[in-house]
Amino acid sequence: MAKKYRFIGKPAPRKDAVEIVTGHAKFVGDIKQHGLLWGKVLRSPHPHANIKNIDTSKAARLPGVRAVLTHHDVPKWKAGVPPHLPMLDSKVRFVGDAVALVAAETEEIAAEACNLIDVEYEQLPAVYDVEEAIKPDAPQLYEQFPGNILPRGLPFFGPELLQEVIMGDVDQGFQEAEIISEGTYAFENIPNPLPYEPPGAIASWDGPDTLNVWVSGQGAYLDRLSVYYTLGRKIKVNAYGGPCGGSYGSKGMSLPVVLYSAILARVTGRPVRVCLSKEEHLNTFALRLGSRIHGRVGMKKDGTITAISGDWLINTGYYSSATQGMVAVGCGEVQLALRCNNWDLRPKVICTNRCASGIVRGFGGQELKCALLPIVTEAMEKLDIDPFEFFKKNYIRPGDGYYWRDSNWYVYRGAEYSKAMDKGAEAFRWSKKWRGWLKPTSVDGSKRRGVGVGVHGNGDTGEDTSEAYVRLDPDGTATIYSSICEHGTGQRSCLCKMVAEVLQLPLEHINITDSDTRISPYEFGPAGSRGTYAIGSAAIAAAEDAKQKLFALSAHALNAKPEDLETEDGMLFIRGNPENRIQWRRGMGVDSTVLGFGRFEADFTLPNFMMTFVEVEVDTETGKVDLLRVVSATDVGQIIDPYMLENQLNGCLGSAGIDSALIEESVLDTNTGRLLTANMVDYKWRTFAELPEMQNVILETPFPSHRFGAIGIGEIATAPGPSAVLMAVSNAIGTRLHSYPITPDKVLAALGKIRGGDEK
Amino acid sequence: MKSFQHVSVPTIEGAISTLKDYKGKAKVIAGGTDILSVLKDRILPEYPQALINIKTLSGLDYIREDKDGLKIGALARLSTIADNPVVNNKYRALAKAAKTVANPQIRNMGTIGGNLAQDTRCWYYRYPHQLGGRIMCLRKGNGPCAAVKGDNRYHAIMEAKKCFAVCPSDTAVALVALEATVKIRGPQGERTVLVSAFYQPLGNDLKDNEILTEIQVPEPPASARQEYIKFALRKPVDFGIVSVAAVIKVTDGVCHESSIALGGVASAPLRATAAEQAAKGKVINETTANSAAEASVAGARPLSKNSYKVEIVKTLVKRVLLSGDSE
Amino acid sequence: MPQNKGVENDIPRIKATLPKIITESGSVIEKEFIELTVNGEAYELRIGNRHGEVDPVHTLAHTLRETLNLTGTKIGCDNGACGACTVIIDGKAVLSCLMLTVECDGKSITTIEGLADPITGALDPIQQSFVDHTAFQCGYCTPGIIMSTKALLHKNQSPTEQEVKESLSGHYCRCISHYHVIEAVMDVVERGR
Ligand SMILES: Cc1cc2nc3c(=O)[nH]c(=O)nc-3n(C[C@@H](O)[C@@H](O)[C@H](O)COP(=O)(O)OP(=O)(O)OC[C@H]3O[C@@H](n4cnc5c(N)ncnc54)[C@H](O)[C@@H]3O)c2cc1C
Ligand code: SF4
Ligand code: FES
Ligand code: FES
Repeated sequence: MAKKYRFIGKPAPRKDAVEIVTGHAKFVGDIKQHGLLWGKVLRSPHPHANIKNIDTSKAARLPGVRAVLTHHDVPKWKAGVPPHLPMLDSKVRFVGDAVALVAAETEEIAAEACNLIDVEYEQLPAVYDVEEAIKPDAPQLYEQFPGNILPRGLPFFGPELLQEVIMGDVDQGFQEAEIISEGTYAFENIPNPLPYEPPGAIASWDGPDTLNVWVSGQGAYLDRLSVYYTLGRKIKVNAYGGPCGGSYGSKGMSLPVVLYSAILARVTGRPVRVCLSKEEHLNTFALRLGSRIHGRVGMKKDGTITAISGDWLINTGYYSSATQGMVAVGCGEVQLALRCNNWDLRPKVICTNRCASGIVRGFGGQELKCALLPIVTEAMEKLDIDPFEFFKKNYIRPGDGYYWRDSNWYVYRGAEYSKAMDKGAEAFRWSKKWRGWLKPTSVDGSKRRGVGVGVHGNGDTGEDTSEAYVRLDPDGTATIYSSICEHGTGQRSCLCKMVAEVLQLPLEHINITDSDTRISPYEFGPAGSRGTYAIGSAAIAAAEDAKQKLFALSAHALNAKPEDLETEDGMLFIRGNPENRIQWRRGMGVDSTVLGFGRFEADFTLPNFMMTFVEVEVDTETGKVDLLRVVSATDVGQIIDPYMLENQLNGCLGSAGIDSALIEESVLDTNTGRLLTANMVDYKWRTFAELPEMQNVILETPFPSHRFGAIGIGEIATAPGPSAVLMAVSNAIGTRLHSYPITPDKVLAALGKIRGGDEK
Repeated sequence: MKSFQHVSVPTIEGAISTLKDYKGKAKVIAGGTDILSVLKDRILPEYPQALINIKTLSGLDYIREDKDGLKIGALARLSTIADNPVVNNKYRALAKAAKTVANPQIRNMGTIGGNLAQDTRCWYYRYPHQLGGRIMCLRKGNGPCAAVKGDNRYHAIMEAKKCFAVCPSDTAVALVALEATVKIRGPQGERTVLVSAFYQPLGNDLKDNEILTEIQVPEPPASARQEYIKFALRKPVDFGIVSVAAVIKVTDGVCHESSIALGGVASAPLRATAAEQAAKGKVINETTANSAAEASVAGARPLSKNSYKVEIVKTLVKRVLLSGDSE
Repeated sequence: MPQNKGVENDIPRIKATLPKIITESGSVIEKEFIELTVNGEAYELRIGNRHGEVDPVHTLAHTLRETLNLTGTKIGCDNGACGACTVIIDGKAVLSCLMLTVECDGKSITTIEGLADPITGALDPIQQSFVDHTAFQCGYCTPGIIMSTKALLHKNQSPTEQEVKESLSGHYCRCISHYHVIEAVMDVVERGR
């Protein structure tokens, strides 16, 4: 906080701001290429069926059609963890599953061709509920996954993926408990993160062995790797990215879409774009995980948790793109928020005949908390414990340990978060508004207000590996080589700021390369909250490395030792003597560039933190819940850019975040297997006209991360909110609600005004 | 979109004769905000051969008042109606209803004729063809209703038989309370129909080759209160889950006359005659409002997932009676 | 990204169904061309289904993006529910995804590309304010929101915050940049006062 920086912590326009506000930013759907074809997918009408016959002859004859492919025609490329989803199969597993692919000259022709494909299906029984799916006689989605249970492991996260939380002695723990709460809660409304720009990719081939893919995603390097491995490690893959119209994690894995464009491009010899329509995006891409817990929590009067046990049933839909990884991270995160010595939490990842659940901000932890925390709060209620005090007591503190996703034990070495909690509570006026469990904060006629609080943290701020180059040019400019894409966090601009600070160069003199794996080094990408610390560290190290090299090259020109040099605004001088300065080009020479390299290795010891306070108003005569106010409290060590940070925290409402407790859900019709929320009227989202008051309380206690002492936070903004809303509404109406989203019917049922609704 | 012949017509007669030329295989396009989604999503098994653009009809977008009341041309835009001083002054329920439709852009584009004649929003009916094929159902002339046994949270709670979809139009609800009629022109000439009679269980009263030309609203008593309350999960964008429009004449606290219409409950906006009766001649207070509210849902027969709508109807009827005329 | 070489675009010429205009006298005119003015520039576009032509089924959003290469106008839902495709016609914000291009014959259209000064490149004050407030995250919603704001401020130079919110209520923004957008717009309003 005390440190004075030239750029860090001050708002600066985004590097890409002008392109964005003028409409010149080129998203995947905006790219024009000579000969570009439209790819389209024919989708299954049945939730579960074998394809007996496909007749593509009529479609193939349609003028303008360049390729029609079925499972007979495509290579055995498989997506999923472990690889299990053939890009096209002789079997379909949900309504909307891919049956055939078409490439055509125009969108209309491609759509028409899909309509001309005749398919004969043998329908199979379908299963949607996790507990039905694991019964012995349930329909089986994959031969290799008996009982519809997916095997453990996600190779990318290491050989020993954390797949449960088991430690201590739960029997003992429950014996020590003064109260035990037990029950089933679920977060199964499968909201859709629904980034504005739909998923999409363009593919083209340079000869038979080199594939170019342009993907709407977070970082090109991961796209390159996932495609490379899926294609059997025989094809050279160049991946490119550009501005991405939102992801919230979901486009971290667009593999099916990329594979469709790749195979169509291969067959036609032309570049092919496959961009999903919004309807496809809503019904066939990536939803949140379904999460249900039969759980048990033991607690003491002082808020000590003595034991937590439970079966966590995870519905991943028809396939898993990274669900096991989300389960691993969720299992890690739950330990950060709930200090407890005795655990027996056993997850099961189950597939069912609906659209897949995929990666979404909150990454397993939000889904787990939404189901588990209500059971914990039942125990608090019985003991009359203030949830704020409880979370404060039980959130991780420096020196505390936890198992993380690689099953190793890590010890937290960051700041104490209780200060941020106190500041948040103060801003929200928690102590004034909290009236006790199931007690409204205020009542005004039919309107009742209530408050709730939730907490979340993720050890991902330093997950995975990043590399970057920084090139210095004699004209006093610097270029960052990184394959991260701008998907909304502002991270590309923040990297420029960090490098500008290291090199003391004006921001305008810092560039960052396009996302292109041909020129940039390895980069896991801006997943989770790793941008600030992990990606930032690589860029900072590269800039530092470049600076040292510059000094070494230039020392002779100033007749000094390299370690005595300093630089500012593209000038070099001896420390303490800034008047006597020379330009970089005089030091390094006009015919040279300097390249610095930086690498960051995973560090799981700096979990972030976020506490969300919410106030709601319930109309007890209509059952409608209005979100009045949200206060988010966190400590980020050091703000890099205040506007970008605030934007990220405000994001707590959207992307299947807080609103998934109120309005967001994908409605599955179990008679037909169809998601009925197939348009943006029926799929609900927050509008400008109904914004709650929003306040972000951001502390800056330096973290032992990189030289700016900052850690990332963006990813977790959504996670603490939904369970806080459930708590707030329950308090407002004086009775507990059990499921999300809290629609009018559930409130009226809970109030006893109608039957049905919110069943336990 | 799949191709169609596009025809722009200059006159009402031209529109009718062109419709006739296509023998029932043409559709009218006005603002296009509904019909184009219907075509893009290919929700209907029959795709029209032609779209007849009636925006080229000149002078059909008027809003004028004469001694009989208000006359609105079918092509008047919702935003124009919502901003019109006369409508805001004397036909407030309609102005209020128009303001709640969709979002500002749709109101700039959508016409009142199209608003009344728009197709249903039942989510089975609207399921897009590209996601595994449209859902066939009774309203599409093939198969049973998918909503009765399915997720019918937004469906009808009263008077529905075969099809349980509700009338999606906001303005229709206000117009029913205002006892408005629509003028329809066809090959056989002109006829007028009460808005309350315009909707039928499987569609509306427009026959082949007919177009809706005008909305006529009799002038309500000057002293009457007018309300339109719409309940939706979100104020903008959403169609009403339940809505209530009312024209209430109160003198010295006593309700002399009222006209209350319920939206979102049936295939047409329904007059809540029992509620009107319950309030008639009574002092408007909590008790009267409650009994009118109860009366309004006396005939309700909710489906498996929409009994909450009954409660909401009661609440809105009560509120409409108790509230002062807002604005 | 490398360009694919040597492929000719060979869309088959399917007989285009030319839009018909029936005149008062009952005669039928088949339109072979339509005229659009976009951001002050006049275009005469042939009806047809080849590249550079307008098919009667094309929406204005499609024509702007695919035919005129004005890809600043975005498509989100393609169904009227998100505001991505908002452009200004006759001073009003409208949704180009729900308009047929052939019905825009003779119209003058302003898109996001038309706001900045074409010669100096100077941004419109609304655009500048969005830059200054970082009133976006992914930026996909931005063009549409700016167009609605432009139409609003054209009609009403000093809207209240509530009026701004109502005017923008048809715009989806998944990143939740709403708060910064409102700051940015109110800043323009304040400066105009
Ligand atoms: C996102 C979204 C939200 C919406 N929300 C609402 C809402 O909250 N409330 C609401 O009421 N509506 C809502 N709508 C529906 C909206 O389309 C209508 O309100 C609009 O008024 C339709 O008018 P239009 O002129 O665009 O109709 P069009 O699309 O042109 O026509 C609709 C139908 O009416 C027929 N038709 C049109 N004019 C005539 C005529 N003169 N004679 C005979 N037939 C005719 C057409 O053939 C077509 O079948 C919403 C629509 C969208 C896309
Ligand atoms: S309610 Fe009507 S439109 Fe909906 S599925 Fe049933 S019959 Fe079809
Ligand atoms: S793209 Fe036009 S409103 Fe969504
Ligand atoms: S900034 Fe991403 S949708 Fe608005």
